[in-house]
Amino acid sequence: MPIVVNLDVMMAKRKISAGELAERVDITPANLSILKNNKAKAVRFSTLEAICRELDCQPGDVLEYVKDE
Amino acid sequence: MAKKWTATKSLFLSRMLTLASLAIAVATLFCIPFLAEWYDAISGDPPIRNQLIVCLYISDALGILALWQLHKLLRNINRQRVFVPENAACFRLISWCCFAVSILWMVMFLTCIRFHEFIISFMAAFAGLVIRVMKNLLEAAVELREENDYTI
Repeated sequence: MPIVVNLDVMMAKRKISAGELAERVDITPANLSILKNNKAKAVRFSTLEAICRELDCQPGDVLEYVKDE
Repeated sequence: MAKKWTATKSLFLSRMLTLASLAIAVATLFCIPFLAEWYDAISGDPPIRNQLIVCLYISDALGILALWQLHKLLRNINRQRVFVPENAACFRLISWCCFAVSILWMVMFLTCIRFHEFIISFMAAFAGLVIRVMKNLLEAAVELREENDYTI
């Protein structure tokens, strides 16, 4: 999929663990793992909002469009 | 409460009926030569015993395969595994069995020209088509469920 989730990069920048972020965003660690590993098919605005709030970033910092080769 | 009871009972009854049909289909395998002879005796038309035996053996084997798939499908539903690709595969195989039976009896009709063979062929093809539509519906539902599961 041409949309890449750079959640791990932002998490590393903010020095926050997956478990802690999952708890703060109020999603299960399994769902956070799906999101981190680019397995997700869609992201709810509410989830994106919570992630941006907790990581203090913009949606563009977490999501990136990469052209298909 | 009453609705749940009915749903559980209908599933149980369907499973029992499928297993009973499976047992009858297996038992029929041993009676096919006698059935063919009996048909020749009562039909009054020129005998077609050998063709009928071959046709009935193949149809019965396909019927057993279809019933076994139906049993697997109902077992999955009983385990709350409804929208899974395995169930769509069961529907696909059942529909192919129906189409194969339809072709077989159409060939039989074209060689022996007996109206009931055409009726069997038509009904099997119709059942195959309906099951095919159900398979497509289930595949769409599986895709939707997957999308829902992977929406975070």
